[in-house]
Amino acid sequence: MKLEQLLHKHFGYSAFRPGQKEVIEAILQEKDVIALLPTGMGKSLCYQLPAYTLQKPVLIVSPLLSLMQDQVEELKRFGEKRVVALNSFLSITEKRNVLLYLEQYRFIFTSPEMLLQQQVQEKLAQMKLGLIVVDEAHCISQWGFDFRPDYLRIGEWFSKENRPPILALSATATSKVVQDIRETLSLKEPFEFMYNVDRPTIHLGRIVLEDKADKASWLMQHIKETAGPGILYVSSRKRAQQYSTAFLQAGIRTAAYHAGYGAEDRQFIQQQFIDGELDWIVATNAFGMGINKQDIRQVIHESMPANIANYMQEIGRAGRDGQSALAILLYSEGDEELAKFVVTGDLPTPHHVDRYQELLFQQIQPTQMLKNGELSETAFRVLDYWIQQESTEQVKARLNHLALEKYRAVDEMLKIIQTKGCIREHLVGYFGQKLQKKPENCCENCGIHYDEIKKTRLKEDKKIEMVPWESRLQQLLLGI
Amino acid sequence: MFHQILLQIFQKLNKERTISAAYHVLRGKRSGQTIQDIGLFQLHQYFGLLPKLSRATFDEAVTLFMQYSWLKVQESGHFYMEKLGVQLAQQTPTFFFDGWQYRGNEHVFFARLSLIVQSLSHQIAEVRSFSPISRDPVTQTWVRSFLQDHHYQKGHLQQQVLAECTRVLNNLPVSDTSKQLVLYRLSGYRLPGWTWQQLADERKESVLDSQLAFIETLHILLNEVHQKGDDYPLLGQVAAGLKVKLLLTDSAQHTAQLYEQGYAMEQIVHMRKLKQSTIEDHFVELAMYEPNFSIGPFVSYEEAQKVWQASKHYQTKKLKILHEALNDMSYFQLRLVLAKGEV
Repeated sequence: MKLEQLLHKHFGYSAFRPGQKEVIEAILQEKDVIALLPTGMGKSLCYQLPAYTLQKPVLIVSPLLSLMQDQVEELKRFGEKRVVALNSFLSITEKRNVLLYLEQYRFIFTSPEMLLQQQVQEKLAQMKLGLIVVDEAHCISQWGFDFRPDYLRIGEWFSKENRPPILALSATATSKVVQDIRETLSLKEPFEFMYNVDRPTIHLGRIVLEDKADKASWLMQHIKETAGPGILYVSSRKRAQQYSTAFLQAGIRTAAYHAGYGAEDRQFIQQQFIDGELDWIVATNAFGMGINKQDIRQVIHESMPANIANYMQEIGRAGRDGQSALAILLYSEGDEELAKFVVTGDLPTPHHVDRYQELLFQQIQPTQMLKNGELSETAFRVLDYWIQQESTEQVKARLNHLALEKYRAVDEMLKIIQTKGCIREHLVGYFGQKLQKKPENCCENCGIHYDEIKKTRLKEDKKIEMVPWESRLQQLLLGI
Repeated sequence: MFHQILLQIFQKLNKERTISAAYHVLRGKRSGQTIQDIGLFQLHQYFGLLPKLSRATFDEAVTLFMQYSWLKVQESGHFYMEKLGVQLAQQTPTFFFDGWQYRGNEHVFFARLSLIVQSLSHQIAEVRSFSPISRDPVTQTWVRSFLQDHHYQKGHLQQQVLAECTRVLNNLPVSDTSKQLVLYRLSGYRLPGWTWQQLADERKESVLDSQLAFIETLHILLNEVHQKGDDYPLLGQVAAGLKVKLLLTDSAQHTAQLYEQGYAMEQIVHMRKLKQSTIEDHFVELAMYEPNFSIGPFVSYEEAQKVWQASKHYQTKKLKILHEALNDMSYFQLRLVLAKGEV
């Protein structure tokens, strides 16, 4: 059966999205593959479809439990029953049963932590797998923003002689991260696919302002006059709160969005935004969101993104419907200093290394630092891993190096902001690609006629009013 | 509402405890001292209402109370209410929380209900795929089997849930705005819920106050469902197993079992490899919540009577003062007597 027919039979789609077919064909030729595809561009299909021709189980290693659950549910919605998540949520009995019949599943999702367990390794060694998928592969790299040391611990496991092909998937990766992925997973001359990073329908604005207050008044003016839906990225939760309050008071339907909110609240905001009940979301740029809204018209950065990859991912949320959209980056002199402060705020410091050793000496579990809130979970994970591998001095040097790398990433972003040439050309060049064609209203430096792109805000945005509880209950349960 | 609740707790603990005691009650700390305070000062309804309450938020309120001259905090952390504070506390409305019985399980109830409603709402709109409002696999499994048990595919479950929810809400002695609050934390197809911030803005109060109003409404609702189980067959299932039957902490429960098997206190200390004081805490807990537990083996009737007389005489339940007055008795004995209550 041809790939297109399989696609239609199992998933109901009539055509592949860019990159999917190339990646799948390489997998079926038993090649290792690194595929960089942005979120929402059908990354998962790259392993879902091959599973139906391979006739052997596909093992998917995924570091985020919630993501794993999403993917399992997605497959079940397509009618797939032979799918299992082998993770720490399983009870001992459940786990034993799953392991016993593991070869009967078509899709086996698991976490790097699980792969460290001997019984899991033994079982997998006896099985013939069709494909190993490493999802969110940037977590492998210590340069990645969500480094998982467990991947390094299972590195050996990937280097086995007669292993099946490996597919490494990620949404964002710089060439440095890609190199780490290649080495850690011992990939053999992998086929590399990278999506076309240029988004010609997104116009790249950059506006230089005096200071914070200037930015605030510019933003207020701009948001009152132009139409959303849009996302405003800011550097802290507090600022997100301040802006959203100010916009709300000006009668603009806005909500703040950051990691300080509970999971339900975050889902409510996303849903309201998608349903058109909100025009603006003010989000912290440290916080990614799995939002899939097609008609976002504007993405504005109030403060500097941590690196170019983040910037691309954030502006990439605009104009998914193919219509033109506007990305504006506000800059005032010295913004890079704040950005550097923010990006290293999450890193462990030499002080943390000493604390760790001190606790060990006192025979206290170093995890106590985590409980005290002395550092973040990611930071602890990094610290914990390296201290067990290297000497104190080496770890300190390594952390120092990590901080310098993050500074360098900010400086690279700064270069994009300060360039006198075409911003688009620079961005695309950073990812090792060549710009095919400059669109109309390309970027600030090529010249943007803002009036041609931005639409005037319609005043009659209706505020959503509450209805009595009886009506709400009926709407929910009867759809009326 | 948060301030009113604090005033009520402070009034009950007036002069007897530090301000932190109130914080531990609201967070539901499972320590012997807090559990004992619950019984001594009748604080059951407030126990564990806000397990995530930050110390900063609590301290902010205390500072405000001091500025308003509602109470004074001494260096030791002990406090006393000023006249204005006592007056205001007396003017606060009666709340109907049931923290001791539900211990945060109202959120389990609501997570189940949310996912049921969300599923039914999407089903009637014929939308098969949505991202579940509860990510907790235990809740998801529970709801999946609930829906299957009630043959949701036939499409009649919506009507039944609607009828029960309407009935229970109509029977609740709470305001329509409180009911509305609960309904807007539910979501469905093209009907997103409202965030706490949005609800608080609409109600012109703090986020914490909205959350407390929500919890109180759920406690009242759960009590109604438990009391008239036959009237609410579906909600009864959703609420099943959420009332804490054993009022003891798990560890105290373990100690109680060993004691029942005939082991002496010293043996239990040895067997459980715990401190003597911890095991003593367990016995105090038993004295407070197990009507059949006798303190006889530890304290004579005459001694107990002396404690009660002293407590009345000095107008206090403070152990330190009672211990000075009755210095031949141990702190443990005093705590047992106070916990058991006057007979």
